[in-house]
Amino acid sequence: MADLLANIDFLQEGPFSVPRWEALFANIGQLWQGALVTVLVASLGLALALALGTVLGVMSSSQWRIPRGFARGYVEFFQNTPLLIQVFMLYNAIPMLVPGLFIPVIAIGILGVGMYHGAYMAEVVRAGIQSIGHGQLEAALSQGFSYVGAMRYIIIPQAMRIVLPPLTNQAVSLIKNTSVLAIIAGGDLMYAGDSFAGRYGHYGPTYIVVGLLYFLMCFPLARLTRRLESRTRAN
Amino acid sequence: MKKSGLLLLLSLVLVVSAFALAGCGSKEPTEPADPGNEPAAELPAGVQAIKDSGQLRVGVKADVPNFGLLDAATNKYAGMEIDLAYALAERMGLTKDDVKFEAVTAKTRGPLLDNGQLDVVIATFTIKPERLEQWNFSEPYYQDEVGLLVKKSSGIKGLADLDGKVVGVAQGATSRDAVQVEADKAGIKVSFLEFATYPEINAALESGRVDAFSVDKSILSGYVTENSVILPDGFSPQDYGAAMKKGADDLTDFFNEMLAEMESNGDMAALLKKWNLS
Repeated sequence: MADLLANIDFLQEGPFSVPRWEALFANIGQLWQGALVTVLVASLGLALALALGTVLGVMSSSQWRIPRGFARGYVEFFQNTPLLIQVFMLYNAIPMLVPGLFIPVIAIGILGVGMYHGAYMAEVVRAGIQSIGHGQLEAALSQGFSYVGAMRYIIIPQAMRIVLPPLTNQAVSLIKNTSVLAIIAGGDLMYAGDSFAGRYGHYGPTYIVVGLLYFLMCFPLARLTRRLESRTRAN
Repeated sequence: MKKSGLLLLLSLVLVVSAFALAGCGSKEPTEPADPGNEPAAELPAGVQAIKDSGQLRVGVKADVPNFGLLDAATNKYAGMEIDLAYALAERMGLTKDDVKFEAVTAKTRGPLLDNGQLDVVIATFTIKPERLEQWNFSEPYYQDEVGLLVKKSSGIKGLADLDGKVVGVAQGATSRDAVQVEADKAGIKVSFLEFATYPEINAALESGRVDAFSVDKSILSGYVTENSVILPDGFSPQDYGAAMKKGADDLTDFFNEMLAEMESNGDMAALLKKWNLS
Protein backbone atom coordinates (compact mmCIF):
# COMPACT_ATOMS: atom_id res chain seq x y z
CA MET A 1 0.00 0.00 0.00
CA ALA A 2 2.76 2.42 0.99
CA ASP A 3 4.69 1.42 -2.12
CA LEU A 4 1.68 2.03 -4.25
CA LEU A 5 1.22 5.50 -2.82
CA ALA A 6 4.92 6.28 -3.19
CA ASN A 7 4.54 5.77 -6.92
CA ILE A 8 1.78 8.28 -7.34
CA ASP A 9 3.58 11.41 -8.47
CA PHE A 10 1.04 14.01 -7.50
CA LEU A 11 1.02 12.75 -3.91
CA GLN A 12 4.80 13.17 -3.67
CA GLU A 13 5.22 16.72 -4.93
CA GLY A 14 3.26 19.62 -6.33
CA PRO A 15 0.09 21.34 -5.16
CA PHE A 16 -1.60 18.08 -4.04
CA SER A 17 1.28 16.39 -2.23
CA VAL A 18 0.74 14.51 1.04
CA PRO A 19 2.52 17.03 3.33
CA ARG A 20 0.10 19.71 2.12
CA TRP A 21 -2.88 17.53 3.03
CA GLU A 22 -1.34 16.92 6.43
CA ALA A 23 -0.78 20.64 6.97
CA LEU A 24 -4.40 21.33 6.08
CA PHE A 25 -5.82 18.71 8.42
CA ALA A 26 -3.56 19.92 11.23
CA ASN A 27 -5.26 23.32 10.88
CA ILE A 28 -8.72 22.19 9.86
CA GLY A 29 -10.19 24.17 12.77
CA GLN A 30 -9.92 27.34 10.69
CA LEU A 31 -12.16 25.83 8.03
CA TRP A 32 -14.69 24.60 10.60
CA GLN A 33 -14.86 28.09 12.02
CA GLY A 34 -15.55 29.43 8.55
CA ALA A 35 -18.12 26.73 7.82
CA LEU A 36 -19.94 27.67 11.01
CA VAL A 37 -20.17 31.31 9.92
CA THR A 38 -21.43 30.20 6.51
CA VAL A 39 -24.14 28.03 8.08
CA LEU A 40 -25.19 30.88 10.37
CA VAL A 41 -25.32 33.45 7.56
CA ALA A 42 -27.07 31.02 5.21
CA SER A 43 -29.76 29.99 7.68
CA LEU A 44 -30.61 33.50 8.88
CA GLY A 45 -30.29 34.81 5.32
CA LEU A 46 -32.70 32.12 4.18
CA ALA A 47 -35.23 33.08 6.85
CA LEU A 48 -35.02 36.72 5.74
CA ALA A 49 -35.28 35.79 2.07
CA LEU A 50 -38.36 33.63 2.67
CA ALA A 51 -40.08 36.36 4.67
CA LEU A 52 -39.25 39.05 2.11
CA GLY A 53 -40.12 36.74 -0.78
CA THR A 54 -43.56 35.93 0.61
CA VAL A 55 -44.49 39.51 1.46
CA LEU A 56 -43.15 40.97 -1.78
CA GLY A 57 -44.62 38.12 -3.84
CA VAL A 58 -48.06 38.84 -2.40
CA MET A 59 -47.55 42.57 -2.95
CA SER A 60 -46.60 42.18 -6.59
CA SER A 61 -49.67 40.08 -7.31
CA SER A 62 -51.95 42.45 -5.45
CA GLN A 63 -54.62 44.58 -7.06
CA TRP A 64 -53.38 47.81 -5.49
CA ARG A 65 -50.97 49.91 -7.44
CA ILE A 66 -48.66 51.23 -4.69
CA PRO A 67 -47.59 47.93 -3.08
CA ARG A 68 -47.33 46.39 -6.56
CA GLY A 69 -45.08 49.22 -7.74
CA PHE A 70 -42.93 49.01 -4.64
CA ALA A 71 -42.48 45.25 -5.01
CA ARG A 72 -41.64 45.61 -8.71
CA GLY A 73 -39.03 48.28 -7.96
CA TYR A 74 -37.47 46.15 -5.26
CA VAL A 75 -37.32 43.03 -7.40
CA GLU A 76 -35.89 44.82 -10.43
CA PHE A 77 -33.23 46.58 -8.35
CA PHE A 78 -31.95 43.46 -6.64
CA GLN A 79 -32.22 41.17 -9.65
CA ASN A 80 -30.34 43.52 -11.94
CA THR A 81 -27.34 44.53 -9.83
CA PRO A 82 -24.59 42.11 -8.79
CA LEU A 83 -24.74 40.83 -5.23
CA LEU A 84 -21.02 41.54 -4.99
CA ILE A 85 -21.58 45.28 -5.47
CA GLN A 86 -24.48 45.35 -3.02
CA VAL A 87 -22.32 43.72 -0.38
CA PHE A 88 -19.30 45.91 -1.13
CA MET A 89 -21.51 49.01 -0.79
CA LEU A 90 -22.92 47.87 2.55
CA TYR A 91 -19.38 47.26 3.74
CA ASN A 92 -17.55 50.35 2.54
CA ALA A 93 -20.03 52.96 1.32
CA ILE A 94 -22.33 53.05 4.36
CA PRO A 95 -19.54 53.96 6.84
CA MET A 96 -18.48 56.74 4.44
CA LEU A 97 -22.00 58.14 4.09
CA VAL A 98 -22.88 57.73 7.76
CA PRO A 99 -19.60 58.05 9.69
CA GLY A 100 -19.34 55.58 12.50
CA LEU A 101 -22.04 53.23 11.24
CA PHE A 102 -20.33 49.91 10.79
CA ILE A 103 -22.77 47.13 10.04
CA PRO A 104 -21.07 43.93 11.28
CA VAL A 105 -19.93 41.69 8.43
CA ILE A 106 -22.13 38.81 9.56
CA ALA A 107 -25.16 41.11 9.41
CA ILE A 108 -24.07 42.33 5.98
CA GLY A 109 -23.95 38.73 4.87
CA ILE A 110 -27.43 37.99 6.17
CA LEU A 111 -28.88 41.21 4.74
CA GLY A 112 -26.98 40.77 1.47
CA VAL A 113 -28.05 37.25 0.54
CA GLY A 114 -31.44 37.69 2.27
CA MET A 115 -32.44 40.78 0.28
CA TYR A 116 -30.92 39.50 -2.96
CA HIS A 117 -32.58 36.09 -2.88
CA GLY A 118 -35.71 37.64 -1.38
CA ALA A 119 -36.15 39.35 -4.76
CA TYR A 120 -35.87 36.05 -6.62
CA MET A 121 -38.18 34.31 -4.17
CA ALA A 122 -40.73 37.10 -4.60
CA GLU A 123 -40.87 36.27 -8.28
CA VAL A 124 -41.35 32.59 -7.49
CA VAL A 125 -44.15 33.38 -5.04
CA ARG A 126 -45.82 35.79 -7.47
CA ALA A 127 -45.81 33.15 -10.21
CA GLY A 128 -47.19 30.61 -7.73
CA ILE A 129 -50.04 32.89 -6.66
CA GLN A 130 -50.92 33.79 -10.21
CA SER A 131 -51.06 30.11 -11.10
CA ILE A 132 -54.00 29.67 -8.68
CA GLY A 133 -57.23 30.38 -10.54
CA HIS A 134 -58.74 33.83 -10.01
CA GLY A 135 -61.99 32.10 -9.10
CA GLN A 136 -60.45 30.95 -5.83
CA LEU A 137 -59.83 34.52 -4.74
CA GLU A 138 -63.27 35.67 -5.85
CA ALA A 139 -64.92 32.78 -4.03
CA ALA A 140 -62.99 33.59 -0.86
CA LEU A 141 -63.85 37.28 -1.04
CA SER A 142 -67.52 36.43 -1.61
CA GLN A 143 -67.43 34.36 1.58
CA GLY A 144 -66.43 37.42 3.56
CA PHE A 145 -62.65 36.96 3.66
CA SER A 146 -60.60 40.12 3.54
CA TYR A 147 -57.96 40.29 0.77
CA VAL A 148 -55.18 39.50 3.23
CA GLY A 149 -57.27 36.76 4.83
CA ALA A 150 -58.02 35.19 1.46
CA MET A 151 -54.33 35.18 0.66
CA ARG A 152 -53.41 33.82 4.05
CA TYR A 153 -55.96 31.00 4.25
CA ILE A 154 -56.93 30.16 0.67
CA ILE A 155 -54.40 31.18 -1.95
CA ILE A 156 -50.97 30.84 -0.32
CA PRO A 157 -51.55 27.31 1.07
CA GLN A 158 -52.43 26.16 -2.44
CA ALA A 159 -49.58 28.05 -4.05
CA MET A 160 -47.15 26.63 -1.50
CA ARG A 161 -47.04 23.22 -3.16
CA ILE A 162 -46.16 24.75 -6.50
CA VAL A 163 -43.53 27.17 -5.25
CA LEU A 164 -41.71 24.85 -2.87
CA PRO A 165 -39.35 23.21 -5.40
CA PRO A 166 -38.15 26.49 -6.95
CA LEU A 167 -37.80 27.96 -3.46
CA THR A 168 -35.48 25.19 -2.28
CA ASN A 169 -33.55 25.73 -5.49
CA GLN A 170 -33.11 29.36 -4.46
CA ALA A 171 -31.95 28.20 -1.03
CA VAL A 172 -29.13 26.25 -2.68
CA SER A 173 -28.05 29.35 -4.61
CA LEU A 174 -28.27 31.38 -1.43
CA ILE A 175 -25.87 29.06 0.40
CA LYS A 176 -23.34 29.26 -2.40
CA ASN A 177 -23.70 33.02 -2.67
CA THR A 178 -22.73 33.51 0.97
CA SER A 179 -19.21 33.05 -0.38
CA VAL A 180 -19.21 36.69 -1.57
CA LEU A 181 -18.50 37.49 2.08
CA ALA A 182 -14.92 36.44 1.39
CA ILE A 183 -14.37 39.70 -0.50
CA ILE A 184 -15.16 41.78 2.59
CA ALA A 185 -13.18 39.62 5.02
CA GLY A 186 -16.39 38.06 6.29
CA GLY A 187 -14.82 35.11 8.06
CA ASP A 188 -16.99 32.63 6.15
CA LEU A 189 -15.88 29.30 4.70
CA MET A 190 -14.55 30.80 1.48
CA TYR A 191 -12.61 33.46 3.42
CA ALA A 192 -11.14 30.84 5.75
CA GLY A 193 -10.11 28.78 2.72
CA ASP A 194 -8.61 31.78 0.90
CA SER A 195 -6.77 32.85 4.00
CA PHE A 196 -5.30 29.43 4.67
CA ALA A 197 -4.44 28.76 1.03
CA GLY A 198 -2.83 32.16 0.65
CA ARG A 199 -0.78 32.05 3.82
CA TYR A 200 0.77 28.65 3.44
CA GLY A 201 0.41 28.00 -0.27
CA HIS A 202 -1.49 24.75 0.29
CA TYR A 203 -4.24 25.83 -2.06
CA GLY A 204 -4.69 22.41 -3.68
CA PRO A 205 -6.14 20.46 -0.72
CA THR A 206 -7.72 23.60 0.76
CA TYR A 207 -10.01 24.42 -2.14
CA ILE A 208 -10.94 20.75 -2.60
CA VAL A 209 -12.06 20.51 1.03
CA VAL A 210 -13.81 23.88 0.91
CA GLY A 211 -15.66 22.83 -2.24
CA LEU A 212 -16.61 19.55 -0.60
CA LEU A 213 -18.02 21.34 2.45
CA TYR A 214 -20.18 23.57 0.25
CA PHE A 215 -21.31 20.47 -1.59
CA LEU A 216 -22.30 18.79 1.67
CA MET A 217 -24.40 21.81 2.60
CA CYS A 218 -26.10 22.13 -0.78
CA PHE A 219 -26.55 18.56 -1.91
CA PRO A 220 -29.25 17.55 0.61
CA LEU A 221 -31.25 20.63 -0.36
CA ALA A 222 -30.84 19.87 -4.06
CA ARG A 223 -32.09 16.33 -3.41
CA LEU A 224 -35.04 17.76 -1.51
CA THR A 225 -35.85 19.94 -4.52
CA ARG A 226 -36.01 16.87 -6.73
CA ARG A 227 -38.24 15.04 -4.25
CA LEU A 228 -40.61 17.98 -3.98
CA GLU A 229 -40.71 18.36 -7.75
CA SER A 230 -41.73 14.77 -8.29
CA ARG A 231 -44.35 15.10 -5.55
CA THR A 232 -45.79 18.23 -7.17
CA ARG A 233 -45.94 16.44 -10.48
CA ALA A 234 -47.69 13.46 -8.88
CA ASN A 235 -50.37 15.81 -7.60
CA MET B 1 -35.72 42.57 -41.22
CA LYS B 2 -33.88 45.21 -39.32
CA LYS B 3 -33.31 42.79 -36.45
CA SER B 4 -31.83 40.06 -38.63
CA GLY B 5 -29.52 42.61 -40.23
CA LEU B 6 -28.25 43.55 -36.81
CA LEU B 7 -27.70 39.89 -35.93
CA LEU B 8 -25.76 39.37 -39.13
CA LEU B 9 -23.55 42.33 -38.33
CA LEU B 10 -22.99 41.06 -34.82
CA SER B 11 -21.97 37.59 -35.94
CA LEU B 12 -19.69 39.13 -38.56
CA VAL B 13 -17.95 41.15 -35.85
CA LEU B 14 -17.58 38.03 -33.72
CA VAL B 15 -16.10 35.98 -36.55
CA VAL B 16 -13.66 38.71 -37.54
CA SER B 17 -12.48 39.22 -33.99
CA ALA B 18 -12.10 35.47 -33.53
CA PHE B 19 -9.81 35.40 -36.56
CA ALA B 20 -7.88 38.38 -35.29
CA LEU B 21 -7.38 36.66 -31.96
CA ALA B 22 -6.33 33.40 -33.59
CA GLY B 23 -3.85 35.42 -35.63
CA CYS B 24 -2.35 36.86 -32.48
CA GLY B 25 -2.00 33.47 -30.87
CA SER B 26 -0.12 31.85 -33.69
CA LYS B 27 2.10 34.81 -34.50
CA GLU B 28 5.64 33.69 -35.13
CA PRO B 29 8.43 35.95 -33.95
CA THR B 30 9.02 37.49 -37.37
CA GLU B 31 11.98 39.72 -36.73
CA PRO B 32 15.13 37.88 -35.73
CA ALA B 33 16.50 38.80 -32.35
CA ASP B 34 19.25 41.37 -32.18
CA PRO B 35 22.45 39.35 -32.58
CA GLY B 36 24.19 41.73 -30.18
CA ASN B 37 22.08 40.37 -27.36
CA GLU B 38 22.68 36.73 -28.21
CA PRO B 39 24.84 35.17 -25.52
CA ALA B 40 27.90 33.48 -26.91
CA ALA B 41 27.32 30.22 -25.06
CA GLU B 42 24.50 27.89 -26.00
CA LEU B 43 21.36 28.36 -23.92
CA PRO B 44 20.61 25.75 -21.22
CA ALA B 45 17.78 23.39 -22.17
CA GLY B 46 15.22 24.94 -19.83
CA VAL B 47 15.85 28.40 -21.26
CA GLN B 48 16.07 27.22 -24.86
CA ALA B 49 12.61 25.66 -24.50
CA ILE B 50 11.17 29.06 -23.59
CA LYS B 51 12.99 30.73 -26.45
CA ASP B 52 11.66 28.10 -28.85
CA SER B 53 8.12 28.73 -27.67
CA GLY B 54 8.57 32.28 -28.96
CA GLN B 55 7.34 33.99 -25.84
CA LEU B 56 8.32 34.61 -22.26
CA ARG B 57 5.28 34.56 -19.96
CA VAL B 58 5.85 36.76 -16.94
CA GLY B 59 3.59 37.31 -13.94
CA VAL B 60 3.82 40.91 -12.73
CA LYS B 61 1.91 43.26 -10.47
CA ALA B 62 -0.51 45.60 -12.20
CA ASP B 63 -1.09 47.88 -9.21
CA VAL B 64 2.31 48.64 -7.69
CA PRO B 65 3.81 51.95 -8.85
CA ASN B 66 7.52 51.81 -9.76
CA PHE B 67 7.52 47.99 -9.73
CA GLY B 68 4.70 46.82 -11.95
CA LEU B 69 1.89 49.14 -12.92
CA LEU B 70 -0.57 48.76 -15.76
CA ASP B 71 -1.28 52.12 -17.35
CA ALA B 72 -5.00 52.00 -18.08
CA ALA B 73 -4.71 54.63 -20.81
CA THR B 74 -2.06 52.87 -22.90
CA ASN B 75 -2.67 49.32 -21.60
CA LYS B 76 1.09 48.96 -21.14
CA TYR B 77 2.99 47.77 -18.08
CA ALA B 78 5.76 49.88 -16.63
CA GLY B 79 8.11 49.55 -13.68
CA MET B 80 11.37 48.15 -12.43
CA GLU B 81 10.14 44.56 -12.55
CA ILE B 82 8.82 45.06 -16.06
CA ASP B 83 12.28 46.19 -17.16
CA LEU B 84 13.79 43.09 -15.52
CA ALA B 85 11.45 40.93 -17.57
CA TYR B 86 12.50 42.75 -20.76
CA ALA B 87 16.17 42.28 -19.87
CA LEU B 88 15.57 38.56 -19.29
CA ALA B 89 13.83 38.18 -22.64
CA GLU B 90 16.60 39.98 -24.47
CA ARG B 91 19.22 37.87 -22.79
CA MET B 92 17.43 34.79 -24.13
CA GLY B 93 17.42 36.25 -27.61
CA LEU B 94 13.76 37.22 -27.58
CA THR B 95 12.46 40.73 -28.13
CA LYS B 96 10.43 42.98 -25.86
CA ASP B 97 7.36 42.15 -27.94
CA ASP B 98 7.76 38.49 -27.08
CA VAL B 99 7.20 39.16 -23.39
CA LYS B 100 3.65 38.29 -22.43
CA PHE B 101 2.69 39.95 -19.15
CA GLU B 102 0.02 38.57 -16.91
CA ALA B 103 -1.24 40.50 -13.89
CA VAL B 104 -0.95 38.49 -10.66
CA THR B 105 -1.89 39.04 -7.02
CA ALA B 106 -0.30 37.66 -3.88
CA LYS B 107 -2.85 34.87 -4.05
CA THR B 108 -2.69 33.91 -7.72
CA ARG B 109 1.02 34.02 -8.46
CA GLY B 110 1.89 30.63 -6.89
CA PRO B 111 -0.84 28.61 -8.59
CA LEU B 112 -0.11 30.27 -11.95
CA LEU B 113 3.49 29.08 -11.74
CA ASP B 114 2.52 25.59 -10.62
CA ASN B 115 0.05 25.00 -13.41
CA GLY B 116 2.50 26.15 -16.04
CA GLN B 117 0.73 29.30 -17.19
CA LEU B 118 3.74 31.44 -16.35
CA ASP B 119 7.46 30.93 -16.86
CA VAL B 120 8.52 33.37 -14.19
CA VAL B 121 6.90 35.64 -11.62
CA ILE B 122 8.57 39.00 -10.99
CA ALA B 123 5.96 40.54 -8.73
CA THR B 124 7.26 41.94 -5.41
CA PHE B 125 7.50 38.29 -4.35
CA THR B 126 9.25 37.99 -0.98
CA ILE B 127 11.71 35.14 -0.58
CA LYS B 128 10.76 33.05 2.47
CA PRO B 129 11.88 29.60 3.68
CA GLU B 130 8.40 28.05 3.24
CA ARG B 131 8.17 29.46 -0.24
CA LEU B 132 11.59 28.09 -1.17
CA GLU B 133 10.15 24.63 -0.58
CA GLN B 134 7.47 25.27 -3.15
CA TRP B 135 9.12 27.36 -5.82
CA ASN B 136 12.54 28.25 -7.17
CA PHE B 137 13.65 31.75 -6.29
CA SER B 138 16.37 33.88 -7.82
CA GLU B 139 18.82 35.86 -5.73
CA PRO B 140 17.17 38.98 -4.30
CA TYR B 141 17.00 42.00 -6.62
CA TYR B 142 15.46 44.43 -4.12
CA GLN B 143 15.08 44.76 -0.38
CA ASP B 144 12.05 46.30 1.21
CA GLU B 145 10.39 46.40 4.61
CA VAL B 146 6.83 46.04 5.78
CA GLY B 147 5.18 49.35 6.62
CA LEU B 148 1.86 50.70 7.85
CA LEU B 149 -0.39 53.23 6.15
CA VAL B 150 -2.89 55.03 8.40
CA LYS B 151 -5.34 57.89 8.07
CA LYS B 152 -3.95 61.17 9.38
CA SER B 153 -7.19 61.77 11.24
CA SER B 154 -6.72 58.54 13.21
CA GLY B 155 -3.93 60.12 15.25
CA ILE B 156 -1.88 56.93 15.04
CA LYS B 157 1.77 57.93 15.20
CA GLY B 158 3.51 54.60 15.49
CA LEU B 159 3.15 50.89 16.04
CA ALA B 160 2.48 51.37 19.78
CA ASP B 161 -0.75 53.25 18.97
CA LEU B 162 -2.11 50.22 17.17
CA ASP B 163 -3.09 48.41 20.38
CA GLY B 164 -6.55 46.92 19.90
CA LYS B 165 -6.73 48.10 16.30
CA VAL B 166 -7.52 46.27 13.08
CA VAL B 167 -4.88 45.89 10.38
CA GLY B 168 -5.82 45.18 6.77
CA VAL B 169 -3.44 42.89 4.91
CA ALA B 170 -3.37 41.07 1.58
CA GLN B 171 -4.19 37.39 1.45
CA GLY B 172 -1.10 35.33 0.83
CA ALA B 173 1.27 38.17 1.74
CA THR B 174 3.94 38.04 4.43
CA SER B 175 2.87 41.27 6.11
CA ARG B 176 0.42 39.58 8.48
CA ASP B 177 3.13 37.50 10.13
CA ALA B 178 5.55 40.42 10.13
CA VAL B 179 3.13 42.76 11.91
CA GLN B 180 2.13 40.02 14.37
CA VAL B 181 5.75 39.46 15.36
CA GLU B 182 6.31 43.20 15.95
CA ALA B 183 3.06 43.52 17.88
CA ASP B 184 4.05 40.63 20.15
CA LYS B 185 7.42 42.27 20.75
CA ALA B 186 5.76 45.56 21.64
CA GLY B 187 3.25 43.74 23.83
CA ILE B 188 0.20 45.05 21.98
CA LYS B 189 -2.79 43.26 20.49
CA VAL B 190 -3.83 43.70 16.87
CA SER B 191 -6.33 41.79 14.77
CA PHE B 192 -6.24 41.24 11.03
CA LEU B 193 -8.63 41.35 8.12
CA GLU B 194 -7.46 39.84 4.87
CA PHE B 195 -8.44 41.07 1.43
CA ALA B 196 -7.69 39.76 -2.02
CA THR B 197 -6.36 42.98 -3.58
CA TYR B 198 -4.67 46.21 -2.43
CA PRO B 199 -7.47 48.51 -3.66
CA GLU B 200 -9.89 46.56 -1.45
CA ILE B 201 -7.66 47.10 1.59
CA ASN B 202 -7.38 50.76 0.70
CA ALA B 203 -11.18 51.04 0.43
CA ALA B 204 -11.48 49.41 3.86
CA LEU B 205 -8.98 51.94 5.24
CA GLU B 206 -10.90 54.83 3.69
CA SER B 207 -14.20 53.62 5.10
CA GLY B 208 -12.69 53.00 8.52
CA ARG B 209 -13.19 49.24 8.44
CA VAL B 210 -9.48 48.84 9.15
CA ASP B 211 -7.25 51.24 11.08
CA ALA B 212 -4.06 50.49 9.17
CA PHE B 213 -3.11 49.08 5.78
CA SER B 214 0.01 46.97 5.98
CA VAL B 215 2.13 45.75 3.13
CA ASP B 216 5.63 46.37 1.78
CA LYS B 217 6.52 50.07 1.89
CA SER B 218 7.21 50.27 -1.82
CA ILE B 219 3.66 49.11 -2.47
CA LEU B 220 2.18 51.40 0.19
CA SER B 221 3.80 54.41 -1.43
CA GLY B 222 1.37 54.01 -4.31
CA TYR B 223 -1.63 54.42 -1.99
CA VAL B 224 -0.65 57.51 -0.03
CA THR B 225 -3.19 60.34 -0.35
CA GLU B 226 -3.41 63.76 1.28
CA ASN B 227 -5.43 62.09 4.05
CA SER B 228 -3.09 59.22 4.78
CA VAL B 229 0.48 58.77 5.86
CA ILE B 230 3.02 55.93 6.07
CA LEU B 231 4.24 55.44 9.64
CA PRO B 232 7.99 55.71 10.23
CA ASP B 233 8.03 52.15 11.61
CA GLY B 234 9.38 49.55 9.25
CA PHE B 235 10.02 45.96 10.05
CA SER B 236 11.14 42.56 8.85
CA PRO B 237 13.24 43.51 5.83
CA GLN B 238 12.03 41.49 2.87
CA ASP B 239 13.99 40.30 -0.13
CA TYR B 240 12.23 40.31 -3.46
CA GLY B 241 13.18 37.53 -5.82
CA ALA B 242 11.93 36.23 -9.14
CA ALA B 243 10.06 32.94 -8.70
CA MET B 244 10.00 30.02 -11.06
CA LYS B 245 8.42 26.61 -10.97
CA LYS B 246 10.11 24.17 -8.61
CA GLY B 247 12.84 22.44 -10.56
CA ALA B 248 13.20 25.12 -13.24
CA ASP B 249 16.87 25.35 -12.30
CA ASP B 250 18.13 26.30 -15.78
CA LEU B 251 15.97 29.41 -15.83
CA THR B 252 16.80 30.27 -12.21
CA ASP B 253 20.54 30.06 -12.87
CA PHE B 254 20.09 32.05 -16.06
CA PHE B 255 18.24 34.78 -14.15
CA ASN B 256 20.88 34.84 -11.40
CA GLU B 257 23.68 35.22 -13.96
CA MET B 258 21.81 38.16 -15.41
CA LEU B 259 21.38 39.75 -11.96
CA ALA B 260 25.08 39.29 -11.16
CA GLU B 261 26.02 40.88 -14.45
CA MET B 262 23.63 43.79 -13.89
CA GLU B 263 25.07 44.35 -10.43
CA SER B 264 28.65 44.42 -11.68
CA ASN B 265 28.15 46.56 -14.79
CA GLY B 266 26.01 49.16 -13.04
CA ASP B 267 22.78 48.35 -14.91
CA MET B 268 21.00 47.50 -11.66
CA ALA B 269 21.93 50.80 -10.04
CA ALA B 270 20.70 52.63 -13.13
CA LEU B 271 17.46 50.65 -13.09
CA LEU B 272 16.77 51.45 -9.43
CA LYS B 273 17.52 55.09 -10.09
CA LYS B 274 15.21 55.15 -13.09
CA TRP B 275 12.30 54.02 -10.87
CA ASN B 276 13.22 56.15 -7.82
CA LEU B 277 14.00 53.06 -5.77
CA SER B 278 17.59 53.72 -4.75
